[in-house]
Amino acid sequence: MIDNQQFTITINERREFRSTPGVSLLTALKGQQVFIPSACGGRGACGLCKVRVVRGPHSPLSSKERFHLTEEEQRQGLRLSCQVPVDQAMAVAIPDGYFHAKEYRAEVADIRNLTHDIRELQLRLIDPPVLAFKAGQYIELQIPRYAQVQRLSFRAYSIASPPSSPDRIELEIRWIPHGLGTTYIFKHLKLHDQVMFHGPHGDFYLRESPRDIILIAGGSGMAPMKSILLDMRERHDPRTTRYFFGARNRRDLFLVDEMKRLELDLPDFKFIPALSQPLPDDSWHGETGLIMDVVDRHIDSNRPADTYLCGSPAMINACLAVLTRKGFSDDRIFFDKYS
Amino acid sequence: MKLSKKLVAITAAMQPGQIACDGFLGNDPRSLAAIMAADQAAVNRIGLSHRQIARRMIEFRDAGQKACGDWITIPPRWEVRVDSARGKLLCPFGDPGLYPKTSITVRDIQNGTEITFTDLHIHLIGRHGFYEGSGCAFRVEPARLAEVLDIN
Repeated sequence: MIDNQQFTITINERREFRSTPGVSLLTALKGQQVFIPSACGGRGACGLCKVRVVRGPHSPLSSKERFHLTEEEQRQGLRLSCQVPVDQAMAVAIPDGYFHAKEYRAEVADIRNLTHDIRELQLRLIDPPVLAFKAGQYIELQIPRYAQVQRLSFRAYSIASPPSSPDRIELEIRWIPHGLGTTYIFKHLKLHDQVMFHGPHGDFYLRESPRDIILIAGGSGMAPMKSILLDMRERHDPRTTRYFFGARNRRDLFLVDEMKRLELDLPDFKFIPALSQPLPDDSWHGETGLIMDVVDRHIDSNRPADTYLCGSPAMINACLAVLTRKGFSDDRIFFDKYS
Repeated sequence: MKLSKKLVAITAAMQPGQIACDGFLGNDPRSLAAIMAADQAAVNRIGLSHRQIARRMIEFRDAGQKACGDWITIPPRWEVRVDSARGKLLCPFGDPGLYPKTSITVRDIQNGTEITFTDLHIHLIGRHGFYEGSGCAFRVEPARLAEVLDIN
């Protein structure tokens, strides 16, 4: 329907808005505070911004869409929203979860170095003043133009604080040499600076169930686990929980004291840090070895458990192999593969 | 005309802050085409192809990934470590897909030499014959790759 050169876009058959022609569907939705995941800024490269077009443009799929969409997805009407120009009225279907994400402005309230390469940012929300999220979810932080970086971009970071503190969130961010996002965060971002982000995003969060809980993480994968554990403490969650955390040596370990306190606060929680290559000066008497081997030694395949993993794809794949061999059910394993 | 427009777009994507913080061209005064032509000649001189080099890089990456971020010994003379960071990178040539932020460090135990490359570099070398411009942190000369990784 054309109205003053604008086209009506219907979302999930219950929300309508009018958009100026010429922009991409991704941009039009973002203008309505509907944040479709996208890692490439609308260049058709990442393939993340899929939406189902129910009615509307019958323009042929671009070569980028044909690369990213399976034949089945094409049959179902999926398109990359960044490749669909708004040139007529259309109706689209998106997961309801996308409606929960909003854009936020926040102030850097604290900066704390957790290790030689991991930093914690505390953000105090300004507008809107609170963020409702599930423990384990992430936000996308806007990296502004700085130094020679002249293009806005976004970087995904898990929230490390519990949902009970909706006016302040914490992020734990690992320094990546020459990284566009972390160079900004470690070299340019200062206390009291303001930042923009949108969220919450993601389906990595603690499920309700009567089963035990196994958490496995490494590096900045600590962030969602900390959020989950603090949330469990506040909700007096009684479930038996084991948290395996892998680090190379002692200087890569962090938040150990906080985890030990949680052992006292939660009814049946054990934190099991493991060093894969402890140094002689580390005086380490705890678990040693790669984290999947430590997990293999500790977990009991006769006890049903929900397992949550966050870390590098290699670490997660290795742990998944162990869990599968031990008979853990695929549908009770949840992971965030750093992607 | 089409080719030059495409080269302009690729060169723009390789500037600092577009895809990577420092870009892909470093302080190299040469054009992208000149950089690639020089590296093609260098690869020809050592009697290899870009694909051969990329395949060997993949072998080291795959072997290193088994150690999940730790050093692992690869007989007869190497140690490899693969580090992963959150997120993925685009190809500046505009290829569809995203490349994990994985850095692979290969150390020759016998002489201590060490090189670091990424998943994206493997793609850039194998698919495009591009080794980055001089002055880039991740630039590795084809001859040095061949020497350290023992490609022949």
